Amino acid sequence: MNTETEVSVSIYILPERQTMQPHQSFHLPEELYYEPTHHLWAKKEAETGRIIVGIDTLGLHAIGDLAFLALPEVGAAVKKGEAIGTLEAAKMTSELRTPVSGIVIGRNDKVLKDPYLVNQKPYTDGWLFSIDPTEWESEKSQLVSGTAIQPWADGEIKRYQEQGLFE
Amino acid sequence: MKNWRLITDDGVSASFGLAADEAIASRVGKGLSPPTLRLYTYRSHCALVGRFQNLDQEIQLGYCLQNDVQINRRPTGGGAIIMGGDQLGVALMIPAQGENTHSSTRELMSRFSAGLVAALNELGITAAFQRKNDLEVNGKKIAGLGIYRDPSGGLLFHASLLVDLDIAQMLRILITPFEKISDKEIDTVANRITTVRKETGGQILLNEVRQQIASGYAEVFEVYLEHQDFSHDERLEIARLEHEKYLTNNWIFQTTEVPDKIGLARKKTPAGLFDIRVAMAGRIIKAIYLCGDFFISENTVADIEAGLKWHASEPAEIEKTLHIIYQKHATELDGIPLQTMKSVIQAAVENASAQEGQEIQPYGCFVAPGGGYA
Repeated sequence: MNTETEVSVSIYILPERQTMQPHQSFHLPEELYYEPTHHLWAKKEAETGRIIVGIDTLGLHAIGDLAFLALPEVGAAVKKGEAIGTLEAAKMTSELRTPVSGIVIGRNDKVLKDPYLVNQKPYTDGWLFSIDPTEWESEKSQLVSGTAIQPWADGEIKRYQEQGLFE
Repeated sequence: MKNWRLITDDGVSASFGLAADEAIASRVGKGLSPPTLRLYTYRSHCALVGRFQNLDQEIQLGYCLQNDVQINRRPTGGGAIIMGGDQLGVALMIPAQGENTHSSTRELMSRFSAGLVAALNELGITAAFQRKNDLEVNGKKIAGLGIYRDPSGGLLFHASLLVDLDIAQMLRILITPFEKISDKEIDTVANRITTVRKETGGQILLNEVRQQIASGYAEVFEVYLEHQDFSHDERLEIARLEHEKYLTNNWIFQTTEVPDKIGLARKKTPAGLFDIRVAMAGRIIKAIYLCGDFFISENTVADIEAGLKWHASEPAEIEKTLHIIYQKHATELDGIPLQTMKSVIQAAVENASAQEGQEIQPYGCFVAPGGGYA
């Protein structure tokens, strides 16, 4: 699956006061919804109504290069915030939590064999799983979207700087 | 001053050791158990693979069966290890709420290993958290680290500290490229690791090391450690987790779809012969070994190997990391052009990629897949 043509990627431009290298600018497409703590993105496909889920670039910067992934089985009923998969990068394993409730209707088998694809193409070929949502209208308000993206990202970048993530 | 609990236990089974850490981390996340530092040993010996490793490619299953070596799978990532009476398990289980969910792995590992570093320093061992999530002494690994985030919100920091190590036994348990286990192979592995006893030059007791580590954590985290045992409820929870997870073949023998690969490249250059081997998981370099007859200090070789461990194999990413290492060791690496180094590494990566689907020789956490070192 490739959603590249459906995503109008905007470049999040970092404030001048920050001292990151050019490669450390982050792409946060403005039409996506973001789970603010776990850095998962969600995109509703207009034609099918399904939600595509992946990891955003800020999250990937903290996690590092993905070595392994485990994703939920198709058909699983999942609740927002529930741990439904696992990832490993640099010897840390952590759970993947779904940002929306519903039924898992697809998963990206390519990234199971090649997890680094998530680092390379997080918003297109590196998507993780898709969900037929059951509570999208109420749950989307708990996600970051639109004009809220930039101030949220500002805060996250500031936190990253304080933690020394930008070397 | 905050209170943490200290639990010490010895000779535990593989399933109990792992289930206890996960169960307590989960309970701590739910607020049912206090933050806990557990300092413990496994029965000699247990072989533990990383969360996503393919067990039959890492462990000598036949040898383990015949010699009563228990095998299991950790919830944390990384490579295969052996644990026993001379390897101290360190498990710190704390609520993750205070730890931002996406703090970097490096930052978390560094912070939580600080107690271990302080304790080793007190023992006269200059250990440091360096490079890719290991504790090292002069470029030699003395402890492996790992982190697991429980869905409940608990965080488990794991370390395996080598108080001592029977390298020959490790080579019998872990699958290695060595056809035989002679003094030469043992020396090869010994060149990459060290132990507390080796560094202190004596027969320090494991209990002394344990006491020092408890003090190190208490001091660094400014906590009071109260020595207690598992509660009745915790033992029930541990038993349930053992039964439902750590004693099941579904957990122990699960496999990953990411292919393991090994690649080798040799190149004669004006700076000497380069013999570079890479072990890969998909497109991630799990480990890299620089051999040959070029002149670089062991510490610089270790820096390059560690810098590229668990690292993307894309040429641009390798070059970026090499640039940093070359800046650090500018004088020493002056005679070896970065592009030469990069090209041999890249050739090894490409050879590994070409071998996808073929049977490969895996590696253990402390084991190199090749012969001697530069």
